[in-house]
This record gives sequence, structure tokens and C-alpha cells, in this order.
Amino acid sequence: MHDLIEQLAARLPLDFRILYRQFLLRVIDLETLSIQADVTAFLGQFAGILIMLSLVHATFNYVGYTVFTDAAARFAFCQHMAHYQIATTMLVIGLVTVISWDSTFPDRRDVMVLSPLPLTPRTILLAKLCASTAVLGLAALSLNIASGLMMALLMGAQAGPAWGFIQSLPAWCFTLAAASVFLFGSVLTIQGVTALLLPRRIFLRVSAFLQLAAFGLFLGVYFVQPSLTDPTAMAAPENQLILGSSPSYWFYALFNQLDGSLPREFAWIADRAWIGLTVAVAGAAGSLLFCYVHTMKKTVEQPDLVPGAGGLHWAPAVGNQLQTAVTHFSLRSLTRSRQHRVAFAFYLAIVLGLALSLLRSELERQPEMSLEFVIATFLIILFAVAGLRNVFSLPISLTANWVLRTTQLRPSPDYVAATRRALLVIAAVPAWLLAASLSLHVRPTRQAAFHLAVLALAGCIVTESCLIGFYKVPFTCSYLPGKANIQVTFWGFLIVLLVLIVPCAEFELRALQSPLKSCFMIAALAATLAALFAFNQWSAKDAAIYFEETPEEVITTLGLSV
Amino acid sequence: MLELRNVCKRYSGIPAVEDVSFSAQAGEVTGYLGPNGSGKSTTMKMITGLIEMSAGHIYFEGKPVHDDLIAYKRRMGYVPEEPYLYTHLSATEYLTMVAQLRDLPAKQASERIDAMLRIFGLHGDRHASISGYSKGMRQKVLLIAALMHNPQLILLDEPFSGLDVASSLVLRSLIQELAARGKVVLFSSHELDTVERISSRVVILHRGRLVADDSIENLRTLMKLPTLEQIFSQLAVEQDTDAMARQIADLIDA
Repeated sequence: MHDLIEQLAARLPLDFRILYRQFLLRVIDLETLSIQADVTAFLGQFAGILIMLSLVHATFNYVGYTVFTDAAARFAFCQHMAHYQIATTMLVIGLVTVISWDSTFPDRRDVMVLSPLPLTPRTILLAKLCASTAVLGLAALSLNIASGLMMALLMGAQAGPAWGFIQSLPAWCFTLAAASVFLFGSVLTIQGVTALLLPRRIFLRVSAFLQLAAFGLFLGVYFVQPSLTDPTAMAAPENQLILGSSPSYWFYALFNQLDGSLPREFAWIADRAWIGLTVAVAGAAGSLLFCYVHTMKKTVEQPDLVPGAGGLHWAPAVGNQLQTAVTHFSLRSLTRSRQHRVAFAFYLAIVLGLALSLLRSELERQPEMSLEFVIATFLIILFAVAGLRNVFSLPISLTANWVLRTTQLRPSPDYVAATRRALLVIAAVPAWLLAASLSLHVRPTRQAAFHLAVLALAGCIVTESCLIGFYKVPFTCSYLPGKANIQVTFWGFLIVLLVLIVPCAEFELRALQSPLKSCFMIAALAATLAALFAFNQWSAKDAAIYFEETPEEVITTLGLSV
Repeated sequence: MLELRNVCKRYSGIPAVEDVSFSAQAGEVTGYLGPNGSGKSTTMKMITGLIEMSAGHIYFEGKPVHDDLIAYKRRMGYVPEEPYLYTHLSATEYLTMVAQLRDLPAKQASERIDAMLRIFGLHGDRHASISGYSKGMRQKVLLIAALMHNPQLILLDEPFSGLDVASSLVLRSLIQELAARGKVVLFSSHELDTVERISSRVVILHRGRLVADDSIENLRTLMKLPTLEQIFSQLAVEQDTDAMARQIADLIDA
């Protein structure tokens, strides 16, 4: 198989093959993952994770299917899982598209490097397109390699074991391919249209926000949209808006249409998939052609220097000079660096998803403090602060760090205090304000005020916990290749906190009933905060601010002595 | 006075700088010369405290700099060899950050930054991202960052790199002016003509070792050579440059 692929690849033009390989390396911004990451290893790991997820889905589908005995329940289960898998595939494809946001259109570097070479725009376009679609195809295939087959088997079993499978499998494959193409094409169309309508310097700024918006939209829709696969729910008038505006339901209907199981009254939903697919493909093709025919030439003529916004340059002080410098630097790095923005957006999307789902459920019931409300608001603070702390570990420009080292004029505790200020200003305070706004309708007000006080203390405790051992300026430290255990530690820490949150939330609800318990809880939290603060200040005294992680010293015995 | 005594730097046992000793006086411009890979930038980085010495001592105004590195850094301004900056910031943002890190009063910093950006011709582009700046513009930002806190010790590693003629002339005069005001100025450059014009003395490094440390006048007399370029060629250039050029041209023609 490998030889066959090699032989086929050898028939392609050499310039295409070289460009394709180069572009493939750049589809995913490897620096987001590790400074010295290896693309082949990364793609292998990426596919491995998705295949594992696919196996879990397949097992769950099979077990779930066998649990039900009657045909109607099995059918309902299969329908629910089919929509879930289509939505999950669309989410994964959407996230990959967002991460590889700028990879399909040629940037200034491509134009400057490739234009003097004897290459046609068509070759560059095809190589770029193939590189992007290869990664997307890998993601879609890996995620459905086991679960897709299982889904086709189970759906096909409704119509008869053999014929049903033969009918379901192509329908399933086509649906997922169409959904992936729709998402990819939609993103390209939006980028292309924005590039066409706006001057390039404004487009570059808008593109960053569009990327964030797309990220939030994909995650938000996935987590917030309800399950409407039951025919009664699909027919309900109040659900027509969701069905008509959610692409995952369009493609779910398309699958049923191709499979032959879609009732006639829902055909309009499948039609939206066809229309969406046509518009996305046409829009993407138009955008790409326009870009390669027109924009590539224009890019060379653009001035190197993009003028900055001439308007407001308000940068308020948020503490002493060092704290202000570190906070402003962190905020600017976060908003201007694509990889940091995307990484932080992941956590923000979770926060936003939690807030939206909370808002939805809170509006539907009595305005009393509930366990779900307490837990969700804790999680909002936790993900915002811990997420930012994790993103702080990704360096932005190691070569420029010399300036921080030559201007290191204060002791280490001052730098820890500056990082603390940045965490509080950028994550803890906005997350607390979000929680406070969600608490506005909680009655009695005394309970809401008490919860917000607890939440403020909890936010400070999470901030202090994140500072333990963090003796570096945000975005400035290189980490050693293969330090995946940082991520493992981080997620382990987060899971422990998540486990702790439930008993803590239950305790808080009990404390609300008694002023004594309330005072005790506040005092306990304040004492914890004070202890953590003192510990961080004490341990920072002897610590040096570091800009690169050094490998642990290992003494190896050579065993030469007798 | 800046003084280096027997300074060494080894990477995994391989010497980059070996037993280098020299001094740079206040009120003088000391030129620091050497071919690529001779250890100039490594020495500069050791003087700034960016890398640690393997052996030796560095003194500033008679005190070992490592005894109170913070006080030493307060009085030092440094322009590195490569214009590495946080390119996602604008010039104003970058310089304001450096001023804050240096604890300069906000009003004073703002006024100085604004005035220096005007003098260096960057005021119109002060809000543009540094990523779009040319090499010369970045070099100017580095110079402002190095000088705005009025340092006593000024370390300039290839400060003329990327500058246009007018800016180079301004910088040349500025270096002399700063020295005349009692600053210690140590600068390395490959532009021998410039070094010859503005330096009171030169230190020449070759393969990590010191091969000359004297005033240009004394070197001319001692070596009986009329120009610094010829002195440098004799002390630190091993190849026959004309033969190399011919070899390259032959290779292209072949």
C-alpha cells in the first residue's frame, strides 16, 4: 500500500510535491504545541487520539444498542447517536479549521518567497488546498474509522443486516465528507469575502477576531444545542428555528435522506444541507480563485509597514510599574498572537458554554441558589484562571527575552506579584463579573452576595494555586521538548479541583442556611488564601526568575569500579 | 571604568572566550573588534549578565558586577547584535514596557520616548506593530530602549547594523557625545572605518583570545601600518580574501 502511494505520488509534478510537503508542515501551528515539535509525530498522535475516541464511540454505540430490546427504542438510540457523531465530527473539523486558520490562503511570506521562483499560482493553490484537506481528511477519517462502521452497521440493521449496511455506509461516508467540506468551505468563504470587502490591514485585524468568533461558535453550538432527534421534538413548532439554523441537524437530515429513512415532512432540513454545501463550495472556490489571481499580486504591492490604529491608546495602570508592564504585555500577547489567542479561546469557550447553559437553565426555573448554579460559577472562575495560567506557559518570542533579563531590577517576589496581578486582571475579575451578572436574578439577594464573596475568595485561591512554582514572566519561558507531563499535571490538577468542587458547593449551600456556618466558610477560605499567599511570597524569595527550563541533573553511574 | 579580568567562557569544555582581560574607561569610546565567531558577542553577553562566565571577573567602577547585579543593570544600556524585539507590540508599547521595567517615572518616560521617537524619525509609525519595521527601524527602537534611562555604561553590539547613512552619522556623533559626557562606551562593529574615526582605543579578539588592546595611534606605530583595516587584517584575518573571491566566481562560472 505504501509503495503504491509512493508510486502514485511520484507521478505528481516535483514542484507540487515539494510545496505540498512544506505547506503540510505549516497547516498546524506547531509552536502551539511545542517549540521543537515533529509534524509527523504530531499528526500520528493526533490521529491516534481520534482513533481511540472512535473506538470508544463504537463500543458505546454497540453496548447502548444491545441494551435496548425493542426496535423503536433501538431506532431512537441510533438516531440520537447519529446526530451526536455528526455534530462531534463537525466540531473536530471546525476546530482543526480554526487552528489552521491562515494556512490555505498565501500569506506575505509565501508571496515573497515563492513569487520569484518559476511556479504558477495554480501549483501553489493546489498544494495549499491539498495540504489543508489532507489534515481535515485525516481528522474526519480517524474520528469515524470504527464508530462510522459501527453506526452504518447499526443503522443498516434496521432495514436488514446486509442490504441496510450497503445502503447506510455510503450515506454515512458522504454525509461526513459533505459536513466537513461544508465547514471548511464556509470558513474559506467568510475569509475570502472579508478579504475582498476590507482593505488588507483591516482584514488582518478582523481575521483574528473572526477566528476567535468561529472557535467560540463551534464550541458554543456543540455544547448548547439540544438533542432533537425524536420525531415529536423535530415536529414541534418551537424547535423549527433550531433545526433550520443548526448545520449539524441539516446533515443529520441529509444522512437520513440518503439512507432512505427521512420522513417527507423533514425533507426541507436536508435541503438546507444541499444548499449550504453548494454555497460553501462555490464561495470557497470563488474566494480561492480571487485570492490567487488578484490578492497574491496585490500583496507584493502592499507596504511593509501596517499603520497602527490612530485612535485610542488607553493603557491604565494596574498596580506598580512592573505589575502594569507585565499585565499589559500579557494582555497584548494574548490578543495579538494567534496561537495564544486560540489556546485561551479554548478555555473561554468552555466558560462561555457554561455561562450560556447556566443562563438558559436559570431562566427556566425559580430564582433560588442551586447546586448546579454554584458549581457552574465555580467552574467559570476555575477554567478562566487555570486556562490563562496554562496559556502563560507558551512562549511568544524567546529571542526577545533578553530585554526582560537585562532589565530585571527587582527581586523575584515582585515578579510573582506582577504575574498574580495579570491573572487577576485578565481572568479572575472578568470571570467573577460574569458570574456576578448571572447572579443578578438570584433571590434572596443576601444569598447571592454571600456566594459572590465566596467566589471572589475562590478566584484568589485558584490564582494563588496557579502561582505555585511559577517563577517566570508570562509568555517568556521556553520549555523542554517532550515536556508533555506539564499538560498532564495541569489537567490532573484541574480534575482534582473538579472533584473537590461538588462537596465544596454542597457545603456552601448548607452554609447559606446558617450565619455561623457562613462566617466559618468565609474565614476558612480567607485563611487558605492567606496561607497560600504567604507560601508563594516566602518561596519566591529564594527563587530566581527563569526564562528556560533546565533539565534535571541526573547522576549516572558508569559501573566502572570493581 | 569597566574592567574584565581573565574572563573565560566554555561550552561543553570548548572555549568560546579564553582569558580575556581589558578595560574600558569613562569618557572614552572603546571599539571591540573581531571576525565572526571570535567571541565578541559572547563577551558582550557576559558583560550584560545574559550568560554566565566560566571563569574570571568583571568589575564596574571597581566593584564586581555580580555582587549587586541589580544596581549594575540599572546603570547599563545594551543594544544586542540582532534586533530581537517583541514584534507584536508597537514601538511605543515596547519602549513604555522597558521604561516600566526600569522603573522610570511614567511622565518622564513618556516624554523621553516621544521625543526620542521624533528625533529618530519613528514618531509617525510609533503605533504600528514592530513586525512591520525594517531592520534599521528596529535598530533605532533598540537604541532608544538602551539610552532612555541615561545609563553610565553603554554596550553596543553592532549598533550601525541596518541604519541608513544619516542615522549612522547621527549615531556616530551620539556615541562620541555620550563618551564626552563621561559615559563608558564599549561598542563592537565590523565597520572598521567608523571604529577608527570614533574610538579612542580598540580591543581585537581572534578565536576567543585577545590579540590587541591599545589606542589606534599606538597600534599604528607599533605595527607600522597606516590604517585600522590593515592592522585588523594582519591580526585577525587568516584567509587570502582575493583568492577566496576568485574561487567563488570560478565556482559559479563552472
